[in-house]
Amino acid sequence: MATAAITASPADPQYPHSLTISLPLPSHHLADTIQRALSVDREISPFVQRTYTTLPDSPILQIHYKATTARMLRVATNGMFESLGTVLRVCEELDVDVLEKELGE
Amino acid sequence: MIALGLEGSANKLGVGLIRHTPGKPAEILSNIRHTFVSPPGEGFLPKDTAKHHRSWVVTLVKRSLKESAVKVKDIDCICYTKGPGMGAPLQSVAIAARTLGLLWGKPLVGVNHCVGHIEMGREITGANNPVVLYVSGGNTQVIAYAEQRYRIFGEALDIAVGNCLDRFARTLNISNDPAPGYNIEQMAKKGKNLVELPYAVKGMDCSFSGILAVVDMMAAQLLSGKPKPLLTPEGEPVTREDLCFSLQETVFAMLVEITERAMAHVGSEQVLIVGGVGCNERLQEMMGLMARDRGGSVYATDERFCIDNGIMIAHAGLLAYKTGFVTPLEESTCTQRFRTDEVLVKWRD
Repeated sequence: MATAAITASPADPQYPHSLTISLPLPSHHLADTIQRALSVDREISPFVQRTYTTLPDSPILQIHYKATTARMLRVATNGMFESLGTVLRVCEELDVDVLEKELGE
Repeated sequence: MIALGLEGSANKLGVGLIRHTPGKPAEILSNIRHTFVSPPGEGFLPKDTAKHHRSWVVTLVKRSLKESAVKVKDIDCICYTKGPGMGAPLQSVAIAARTLGLLWGKPLVGVNHCVGHIEMGREITGANNPVVLYVSGGNTQVIAYAEQRYRIFGEALDIAVGNCLDRFARTLNISNDPAPGYNIEQMAKKGKNLVELPYAVKGMDCSFSGILAVVDMMAAQLLSGKPKPLLTPEGEPVTREDLCFSLQETVFAMLVEITERAMAHVGSEQVLIVGGVGCNERLQEMMGLMARDRGGSVYATDERFCIDNGIMIAHAGLLAYKTGFVTPLEESTCTQRFRTDEVLVKWRD
């Protein structure tokens, strides 16, 4: 089960409110998969910016948010957590090896 | 070839698995659905609907694979509803589709919801080249095929006919289980008095919001008795059943008229009714009377295919995929507005 750690990032004067979600995952492949799936949806508001970092030595996906207001940040990150829930559950229960074991593929 | 289809543009989450074998009819390997039913008097909001879809998508996909005994390696593509529909619910399903595509290494096919309904209707009924009446809570269109596109001949100018019916169900606090339209239909069967309502056909198009406003006012008068009780011209009290009956008769007559106009224009004798409102037996009956008068016939499917489902997405998606159509990952977004005629129907000539 993945856990998330929220830390404050250095402030950008244009987007003073920021947040980074650090997602430790079982493998780099999964980190890459999740990043690619999430990247397709652009941020709807120009007042929020989202970027990703994957750390080379450990399979942690970092999702960086910065926004013009606290409210925009909260709304955007709420949405991200909801999407993350779906993506993680799909990875957990519908990955090829999991299905092979459960349904005898 | 086998396709997985995921549908979630409104409050129904559908998962389907379909197999296409050359020279044989399409084979439905799995078609399961879970509906988000809101309490009586309430509609379904995007946020809650998306939450429902997110909670059920994994369960339904797993059950679909289990029931059909299809293996991941046998699936050729993953089809999902690109649009039209409600934003958050569409996105909640698309992101699951994307993740599956990446995990399983399968291409994605974004499908137009309306085209899904049309193609499934054609497949199930065998109607060759009908005028299509697509009627649901979110869409009302009269469609005819010409030169590789499904052309919209007429449509609702404001709200869909199903939306009109669903919102009236809220006014009367009718249960949304299994669907508000279904419950209105049952009540309408017990209606006796035809109350006069506005009739709003505008050429090839029609309008429902004015009719809804009037019938809502009548319902308010019926329920409160103010400023005076709602009576027929003969002095009989109008019942909730009478209002349901009158609303259906009026809006369905409008739909029959614009469908007939399209049939006359195109020179077609076949009508195919698709979409959730297409389940309504009174609509099918009225359309049948008109079609028979013209020496034609009506085709309709049952609730497995009328109501939003995953198999229609899998079917239309696989048809497109076989012509070489694929949605690259970066383009696997959703859009609330996606016109039926935007799709190039390469699989037909």
